[in-house]
Amino acid sequence: MTGANAGGGTAVALRRVALVGRANAGKTSLLMHLTGSLQRPVNFPGTSVERTESSVRCGDVQLQIGDLPGIASLTPHSRDEQVTVQSLRGAGGLAPELLCVVLDASRLPVELRLLHELRSLRLPMVVALTKVDVAAAEGYPVDVERLQQALGLPLVSVNGASGAGIDDLRCRLADLDLAAAVAEVAAPGHVPGPIVRTLARSRTDRIDAFLLHPVLGPLVLLLVLGGMFQLVFTVASPFMAWIEGAQEVVGDHVGSLVAASAVRSFLVDGLVNGVGSSLVFVPQIALLVAFVTCVEASGYMARAVVLLDRVLRKVGLSGKSFVPLTGSFACAIPGIVASRILDDERDRLATIAVAPLMSCSARLPVYVVLLAAFFPPQQAGLLLFLLYGLGVVAAAVVAMLLRRTVLRGGGSFLTMELPVYQRPRLGLIGAHTWLAVRGFLRTAGTVIVVATVVVWALGYFPRPAAIHERFEAARAAAPAGADGDAARERLDAEEAAAYLEQSLLADAGRALQPVFAPAGFDWRLTVGVLAAFPARELVIPTLGTLYSLGSVEASSDAADTRLLESLRSARATDGKPTMNGLVALAMMAFFALCSQCAGTLAAIRRETHSWRWPVFTFTYMTTLAWLAAVAIYQFGSLLGYGR
Amino acid sequence: MAVVVPAAGRFALPELGRRCCATVVHVAGDDALSRRLAASGFWSGAVVERLGAAPFGDPLLFRLHGYRIALRREEAARVVVEERCA
Repeated sequence: MTGANAGGGTAVALRRVALVGRANAGKTSLLMHLTGSLQRPVNFPGTSVERTESSVRCGDVQLQIGDLPGIASLTPHSRDEQVTVQSLRGAGGLAPELLCVVLDASRLPVELRLLHELRSLRLPMVVALTKVDVAAAEGYPVDVERLQQALGLPLVSVNGASGAGIDDLRCRLADLDLAAAVAEVAAPGHVPGPIVRTLARSRTDRIDAFLLHPVLGPLVLLLVLGGMFQLVFTVASPFMAWIEGAQEVVGDHVGSLVAASAVRSFLVDGLVNGVGSSLVFVPQIALLVAFVTCVEASGYMARAVVLLDRVLRKVGLSGKSFVPLTGSFACAIPGIVASRILDDERDRLATIAVAPLMSCSARLPVYVVLLAAFFPPQQAGLLLFLLYGLGVVAAAVVAMLLRRTVLRGGGSFLTMELPVYQRPRLGLIGAHTWLAVRGFLRTAGTVIVVATVVVWALGYFPRPAAIHERFEAARAAAPAGADGDAARERLDAEEAAAYLEQSLLADAGRALQPVFAPAGFDWRLTVGVLAAFPARELVIPTLGTLYSLGSVEASSDAADTRLLESLRSARATDGKPTMNGLVALAMMAFFALCSQCAGTLAAIRRETHSWRWPVFTFTYMTTLAWLAAVAIYQFGSLLGYGR
Repeated sequence: MAVVVPAAGRFALPELGRRCCATVVHVAGDDALSRRLAASGFWSGAVVERLGAAPFGDPLLFRLHGYRIALRREEAARVVVEERCA
């Protein structure tokens, strides 16, 4: 019933309907009820702004309903609003035939002003009145009958939570005589009399007294943020371990089907590894999006924005930057997309440019491995906190510099509506989460798979036969039995390391090693850093191979312990250890600040419509990371750490 | 914090006392912010109630046409109002 071509034998008339209304009027919820399905995100021609579209059959009419971004008036202020207005005016040849104007009963006078403006479009209209219950709870009861008479337009009261009135609305949209309806729109309609408040203090007023309290408010916000981190880091980990396990099983299975060859290595180490590396983000992205949707749908997000506006303005951002920046702690990609809520372009660009500095979930395994290898647990916790802090401080400084130089000025404003508190609907959370996961897999996921395959190829080729012959001879010489099996296994791992050591990737590592020498990185760490540029999670398996461990999965425990051991015991040719706490610290600072994610850069390109911002972000972050790593290593060496 | 205002006098919205109401006289300026304020419901005759402020006194919280809106102090300063109730 959801396909646009779901018609049977009878002729089906297609009717393009646009859902229009102010932000938070309940359009998305309404669309889900109307069509009973998840929406299909469609990009507006020539923009990155997505609208969701869904279709439903009602009698002989196929309603194709598009959800337009919320507008406050026909004079647009943000990119999203501009898209809506252009679309209403028929840009791209897709003018709607019928408007479904969504009016929020709880702020009727403002909504009616928009309705009045929309009449000037001379498009047939059906009014969907939402949140009548909310209006009553807030002390502003609405007389629906009288309102309809005053407006002179078809009007249906709908309930976004229970779905009541939806069937009625669907039929009205399908059955409306479009020609006659235009005449109704042209008539000015009466403005209903002023609303009278019947309640002194509503439930939302009482909750706000607590959540916006000068002392309790910030405390609750900290708790909410803490809960979010807890959710993203702890609840997601079993799911991530499961995906990693599944990747191993699939890799082994594929490996057993194909004989040892470049093809097998491509399939197992390139393709399966790449798909696994992108799927492993799904639990965290899903949980984060579900949490953020929940916070947003409950009405708390607007309060968080208000609580943080003052602090964020000090560094040149807006309270609204809170949403994308918080999201970036899980993954910068949805965070960058979420920056669309910023209506000032300069605020938005500054937010996008600093969002990747928030320590995302892909950095965590790197921190965990290095901290566990070189620091006692008590110190590790503090250092982990400091690494997250490093990103936040760097973001504040960069944002401030940007807003005082290239992004100077700009009339950013807050004018933020604080919606009534509501219980979030599960269906809405599910739909948003699914859309975000699908969007991630399509854009960033694809980039990660391609990048992984490229790194695999650089690390695989060339394959000189001499190495193979040398190890084949050694393997043949190994004694039979258990001892020999262990020896052969070790030889296999050494062979993999030998190949990698003369690969194109290692050549690049050695060529670039002088650049990283001031930070204390040897050529192997340099290779690890290079391999991490497409996606930072690639560093662990790469270091694993370099330190002759055979294949190391990103966080399977047994392999990790072996990696820890060999990181600790690795010696340079002159017998000095190549890694110590100081180098590990420099490396972690590098990872904290460096732009090592092709997916993020792709998202920035998409959201800013130019290569300038991804190139700028990559350059400044990588420079900053290098400076920080060098500063830590040089300063630490001066103080006598790490000998 | 609430400034004592002469009766029936006009003043800028941030000076409105907590839990007090006022009627909007006009919104100063003709730019994106003033249009945004107008679209949010700040037009002459609209009744505004000051609900309070965020911690540290900024942004300010108002009720207008039955809904709540947060404005920064300098945004609210654009709105000229007339005292309505004590």
